[in-house]
Amino acid sequence: MYGLQEGINLGQNGSASDQDLKSLLLNRDDRFWTELVKQSAAATTFSQLTALSSIRKKAARLGLNGLSDEKTNTVRIGLIGGSTLFPLSDLIEHFVNVFVGDVQIFTGDYNNYRSEILEESSSLYEFRPDFVVVLPDEQSCKHPGMLNDPKESVEAEINRVSSELLQLCSIIRERTAAEILLCNFILPSANDLGPVQAKSLASDWNFRKAVNLGLGTKAPNYVHICDLEFLAYRLGGLIAKDARSWFESKQLCSPSLQVDLAREITHIVKALRTTPKKVLVLDLDNTLWGGVIGDDGIEGIEIGDTSPRGEAFKAFQSYILSLTQRGFILAVCSKNDFDNAIQPFREHPEMVLREEHFVSFKANWEPKGQNLIEIANELNLGLESFIFADDNPAEVENVRQFAPEVTCIALDPDPSVYIRQLQESRLFERTMITGEDVRRTEQYREEATRRSLLSTSVDMDSYLQSLEMVGTFREFNPIDLPRIAQLINKSNQFNLTTRRRLESELAALISDPIYTGFSMRLADRFGDHGLISVVICKSNSDGCFEIDTWLMSCRVLKRQVEEQVLNEIVRQAADKGCVRVKGAYIPTAKNAMVSDLYSKLGFRAIDGCQDCCEFELLVENFTPKATFISVNHKEHLT
Amino acid sequence: MSLDKTEVLSRMQVIFDELFLDEVTVTPELSAKDVEEWDSLLHISLVVTVEESFEVKFRVGEVEATQNVGEFVELIVQRSKEANV
Repeated sequence: MYGLQEGINLGQNGSASDQDLKSLLLNRDDRFWTELVKQSAAATTFSQLTALSSIRKKAARLGLNGLSDEKTNTVRIGLIGGSTLFPLSDLIEHFVNVFVGDVQIFTGDYNNYRSEILEESSSLYEFRPDFVVVLPDEQSCKHPGMLNDPKESVEAEINRVSSELLQLCSIIRERTAAEILLCNFILPSANDLGPVQAKSLASDWNFRKAVNLGLGTKAPNYVHICDLEFLAYRLGGLIAKDARSWFESKQLCSPSLQVDLAREITHIVKALRTTPKKVLVLDLDNTLWGGVIGDDGIEGIEIGDTSPRGEAFKAFQSYILSLTQRGFILAVCSKNDFDNAIQPFREHPEMVLREEHFVSFKANWEPKGQNLIEIANELNLGLESFIFADDNPAEVENVRQFAPEVTCIALDPDPSVYIRQLQESRLFERTMITGEDVRRTEQYREEATRRSLLSTSVDMDSYLQSLEMVGTFREFNPIDLPRIAQLINKSNQFNLTTRRRLESELAALISDPIYTGFSMRLADRFGDHGLISVVICKSNSDGCFEIDTWLMSCRVLKRQVEEQVLNEIVRQAADKGCVRVKGAYIPTAKNAMVSDLYSKLGFRAIDGCQDCCEFELLVENFTPKATFISVNHKEHLT
Repeated sequence: MSLDKTEVLSRMQVIFDELFLDEVTVTPELSAKDVEEWDSLLHISLVVTVEESFEVKFRVGEVEATQNVGEFVELIVQRSKEANV
């Protein structure tokens, strides 16, 4: 685990923490290995790591071997390729030793990998590797002809390069049964061809990209692509290579990229040797929403589009939901009364995660480590397949102590980085695509369908129909109020009267029988748009139902939402015994888009009205507008 | 801030302590043939570590041309001056 939260700052060389390691070693202190693991996780530069590697070797001389007391078999890694493989081999040895266990490395000779693979009695095969890392030479990944060669001949070359490499991998597999880590190619960081570079398939840039793509898409299950192209991109092309070290000692890439590459290789090796994770157990307060449900109540927690923090928590929930589609199962472990804890999942409209997404829901006051053990028993799964995420370091510590097999993620104080923390933990990867991932195929199919729908929008009706839109009307209620107030005070364009109101004024409307306030939410088969329209009407004693406020979020324009809202307005008017609906358009600098809304919807302009245009509709003459939105009505929640 | 030879030499001692498994006393006269561990592979790590630590960049071939630690130190001082201009 190279979690951010475990990081310890290393200063300049010879820093205090290096000294600490030295004195821990001199005193034969038990904490030496833990400290070495921590510092190795945090180290970013080549020189920090060579120092750590060297002190690890010194410790080994003194008989201090971290993981050797555990029952781990030695990992045997053969490293072969088209460049000088030292000091990369040293970095790999260090990381694997520190993060995985005992390790033996075979380092091939410079650019000798073809014969090491092809000769049956080569020293690579004598070594009997469990893993073989292949770092092909860049020189062979180049179009041998001209820039303007016909596309077909360049494609044939591209195919030849990727096929040859995969062929070599299949030979290794036949002779060793090893898992193979095949590194792909770093893209050039200079463009000496100008615009032609992107256009010609024969340019190094396009040629390498195409070879990399071919390697990835054609690789069999036993070949794991170590994506050097991505690693170099992430680090930055300009610092990924080092020309001098190529000429002096045939180094494939810069020291910084070697560090990243060694980490990546270690990660893949580790992922292939350990039980894959299956269950994500989540805390609730300040993990899935902001605030404390027991103190703040369902109206007080931060979740959803009302505030930036609420949005961050909602995005985190969406990311978690996406993990279930990768085959992960979810559970809750929270210190709360059950009834409080479950309420947002059942009632809060902005929650993405719902009760049915969880296989186990522990909300009680028992220690979390204990709860996790119970969940594991319920599901009949080993704790080593569990991941636990909590914002409270004390709870994380409790789990680390009482259920040490569980991998913990201590969430940052800032919820906007939660998703990145989960991604960077790299615990949610799948090493290969298997039958379990069949559901993903469906999603790809849906995505493809949606795209084709958008591109053939000539027939608007069938597009709208295919969206399977669901609209939900709900009278104003305390949970929705912050979002309603936000829309009332921010919407400018689709806003007929632009009347601003404070949240407290809106709260007062709820209990005033003269006023009818309702909102609409819209969802479709591609997701939830949230609360997108707000209406406030006044029932006057003369049988007139007056539209005081009508606004809509522009992200749902052209979705027939306004027609559906009108249907609801008229339904409410009839319900209140009104015979006429009256609406006004108050022009502002920004709301021209709704100047003709009422006339388009069949209202009649009332004569003698200049600045403020008033319109009217008779309830008895109204035929509800046909739309492709199916409608739900929800009663008050409180 | 430019470096002087004495300072570079003492920081080299720290680097050697971190990099070499055996204890090596760094002197200007010291060269690779005096230290068993100091082979061509370890030399690669040494050059990278020196570049990172002193924030200098060597030109191709010039480190190899130095005969001992003293000449290496002079090269570091010179490249460091240029880097700080």
